[in-house]
Amino acid sequence: MGELFRRLRYLVHRRRLEAELANDMEFHREMAARAGRRNFGNTLRLREQSREAWGWTWLDRFVLDLQYGARILARSPGFTVMAVLVLALGIGVNIAAFSLFNMVALRPLPVRDPDSLILLERRSPDSYNSEMSYPSFQFYRDHARSLAAAIAVFGVPPVQLNNDADLVKISFVTPNYFEQLGTPAALGRVLSTTLDASPSSPPVMLLSYPLWQQRFNSDPSVIGRTVRLNRKPVTIAGVLPYDFASLASQHPDVWVPIAQQPYFIDGSKVLTDFNSSTVRMWARLAPGITAKAAEQELRALTDQLRLQHPEAVWKNEALQSSPGGHAQVLHPEEWRVVVMVAVLTLLILAVSCANLGALLLARGVTRQHEIGIRLAIGANRARIFRQLCTESLLLAALGAVVGLALAWAVMRFVLAQIDAPRWITAAPDGRLLLFTVAVMFLAVIFFGFAPAWQIARSRQHKTIARQLLVTAQIAASCVLLIVSGLLVRAAQHALYTDPGFGYESTLSIDPQLAQHGFSESAASAYLQAMRARLSAIPGVRAVGLVHLPPMGHTVWRQDILIDGRRILVYPNQADADYFRTMEIPLLAGRTLQPGEQHAIVISATLARLQGHGQNPLGKLMPGSQDVVVGIVGDAHVNALNDDDAVEEYWAPQPADMPGMVLVVRTGGPAASIMPAARAISQSLAPAIFPEMRPLKGLYQDSVRHVEQLAAIVSLIGLVAVLMAGVGIIGLVAFTVSQRTRETAIRLALGSRAVPLCLALLRQFVWPVALGATLGATLAAVGSRFLRMILFGVSNLDPLAFAAAIAFLFAVVALAAVLPLRRALRLNVARALHQE
Amino acid sequence: MPMADTPKSGMPPGALPMLILRVLHSGALHGYAIAQKIHVLSSEVLAVEEGLLYPTLQKLLVKGWVTAEWGTSETGRKVRFYRLTADGRKQLKVELAGYDRITQAIQDVLRTA
Repeated sequence: MGELFRRLRYLVHRRRLEAELANDMEFHREMAARAGRRNFGNTLRLREQSREAWGWTWLDRFVLDLQYGARILARSPGFTVMAVLVLALGIGVNIAAFSLFNMVALRPLPVRDPDSLILLERRSPDSYNSEMSYPSFQFYRDHARSLAAAIAVFGVPPVQLNNDADLVKISFVTPNYFEQLGTPAALGRVLSTTLDASPSSPPVMLLSYPLWQQRFNSDPSVIGRTVRLNRKPVTIAGVLPYDFASLASQHPDVWVPIAQQPYFIDGSKVLTDFNSSTVRMWARLAPGITAKAAEQELRALTDQLRLQHPEAVWKNEALQSSPGGHAQVLHPEEWRVVVMVAVLTLLILAVSCANLGALLLARGVTRQHEIGIRLAIGANRARIFRQLCTESLLLAALGAVVGLALAWAVMRFVLAQIDAPRWITAAPDGRLLLFTVAVMFLAVIFFGFAPAWQIARSRQHKTIARQLLVTAQIAASCVLLIVSGLLVRAAQHALYTDPGFGYESTLSIDPQLAQHGFSESAASAYLQAMRARLSAIPGVRAVGLVHLPPMGHTVWRQDILIDGRRILVYPNQADADYFRTMEIPLLAGRTLQPGEQHAIVISATLARLQGHGQNPLGKLMPGSQDVVVGIVGDAHVNALNDDDAVEEYWAPQPADMPGMVLVVRTGGPAASIMPAARAISQSLAPAIFPEMRPLKGLYQDSVRHVEQLAAIVSLIGLVAVLMAGVGIIGLVAFTVSQRTRETAIRLALGSRAVPLCLALLRQFVWPVALGATLGATLAAVGSRFLRMILFGVSNLDPLAFAAAIAFLFAVVALAAVLPLRRALRLNVARALHQE
Repeated sequence: MPMADTPKSGMPPGALPMLILRVLHSGALHGYAIAQKIHVLSSEVLAVEEGLLYPTLQKLLVKGWVTAEWGTSETGRKVRFYRLTADGRKQLKVELAGYDRITQAIQDVLRTA
């Protein structure tokens, strides 16, 4: 330790210390001269040897190499700019992707002790629910000793503020929410565990900063003012800060204590009902407790809860924890997407590095003279290698800086476009800088080592390295093009094919009867009346009932076993009119009778999987007592982009009525009947504010995501293939210039253009072929993971593969032919004279 | 480099650091005085090559066994004096003990063989 300190001190004071040493030697020499001795030796060399004792020689050499490299690069600005741009693209894409990942999953929320926050979700081998019932939450909160605090969040459909037409998003939370996050109020106060924990406390709410700005004109006197939410008077207690960081980046407009939920939602029983899963549970780990240990304790509690309330707990249920202190909670399923994006962006880096590597090799030939001179005056090959690597490092550093700037600009743009939480900024943090440095070194290894090795050994004329680089470029571009091809096909497919159900003029109306505590009979009566009066509106073609409406907030998936194969099923309850309303065709058998039991309708794909080519009608569903009575068309209403999804439907039972949703098909635009539907609901039950959603908009949103993804990946694939194209132009041009004499002789001997070109291009044939094969294979294997989002396009879609490869070959051919023209226009006489 | 490593003055390899530490034991000296003192004390058998002295002194500085400080030479010139540190004293003891053991062993071999 002391030694390192002395060495560092020497580094800082080296100028002075070297002067002192020189003085010592000077003195020594004077004294020796007095004593009649004069052979002190070479002082410069002695000083160098003394300096070596301090162990900083490598640094001196490195600085020298850097200076030399900088001079070399400055002397050929064209090459330098080109190389830095190519690298900046490759590195920048990686930085941008990581930056996004960093913001979402790595950067801690700016709240108190974000590391001890966890999200708890119900999981069993075949079920998953991100929400649990409020009494279950209370049970866990009161009994778990490994949790220092527990927070419940309950989101409901938008509510009406005063008489405004625009509804506001509302979230009910336990009053410790803000204290736990350490969030102060911008104005007034936040919710408090002492004031707001009881149902009998005076009703209060907090405003989000944007809502305060927009609806209340940033008026500071709103604190204490009474407004109406769903016509219930409530006092504004405070305004949240502008850059408020909420759990999972949810941004409701108003926050209300959960104890007052029954006050706002008339007759609601969700706070006491073990069977309605409605709240998300967040928790803070007790000091020194790991998430794993907490899961252990909670598992024991789940078993206790099962004894008390068997109906509220699944078989083999356990609460699974995820780190909660980030902008988004990443579930295990989502890591697959992260890995996929990482692979794609690394491929881009590979393309840009291979491109630059080839460029460096070609440059190595022109630098032969310089390297020769340096070898002749005593540099060894290791030194040359080191110098070339330093030069590459300098290029990579420049590329990384430009890439970082590029990524920063892109991220700023993206953040401005999307509705990102205010506390998130695109400014790079330590983690991002570290990543940038890591990518920079990775790039140096990718593009710098092989050429430096070849050049240092004066083997830059060997073609094998160049051919391998072409192979790598072609393979990587091929993968990127195929993936973008698949996504483009998926977007097209989603846009231009029938999703299996009608969405153009369909409206879903969710009255949330269960949350208002409607009994079976009351719910039934409301739904009957709604259906009758909605049908009477001119232009309404059909009205149906369904439990989980298309593109709804809740998705229910279940694994069932058919012949030992796991199949993901989307179960639902729907009446006969639902299929008519949604225009889902009945293919065989019949639809369900009202209230019918032990009967099931399945989708065509499920029928095929289950029936083994025989008619499944009249047979039992495996593992149940339900007889298949009908087969309907596939309609992935809640899994639009997953063509492997299958559906099954039961008839709604009387007990299901409070949870049912109406779907309405109209002749004109679905939104046009919304005022009428609202008025009907008001007259039937004034406390109910149904959530109405036209399906067309939801469908378009969902497709737009795929379109955007396809556009981004296509753009990246295009950049990659253009880079590969430019790289090939450079290589062919280089080959042509290297073989000028041979070409001239062939021309002089009367060679025709075509065989001549083939001779020049022969060395590129196998790298291109091998690269394309490799790329296609990789894409075929890797794209299995894309299946879930491809809207039913096969991940081996021949059109996407063929188009990608054809495009790649077209670019390669063009890139090869352009520089060949120079060979054919060669002035034979001059070329031969020159040599 | 190799030139400096081959002593022409009969100095056993590795002995110089020990000798330097030893002559500094009685007080701080400048570089020339160190060379002179070793030369004189060895009855002019050992000559310290300047090419070896200064790199060795630097190594002792790196190890922290000696420090350098400004002083005035007997000729009235400003020059650095090298002084033994506490660590250096410890090191000297270690080296002397090691050296004694080795010479004893060599002596034993020479006497009995």
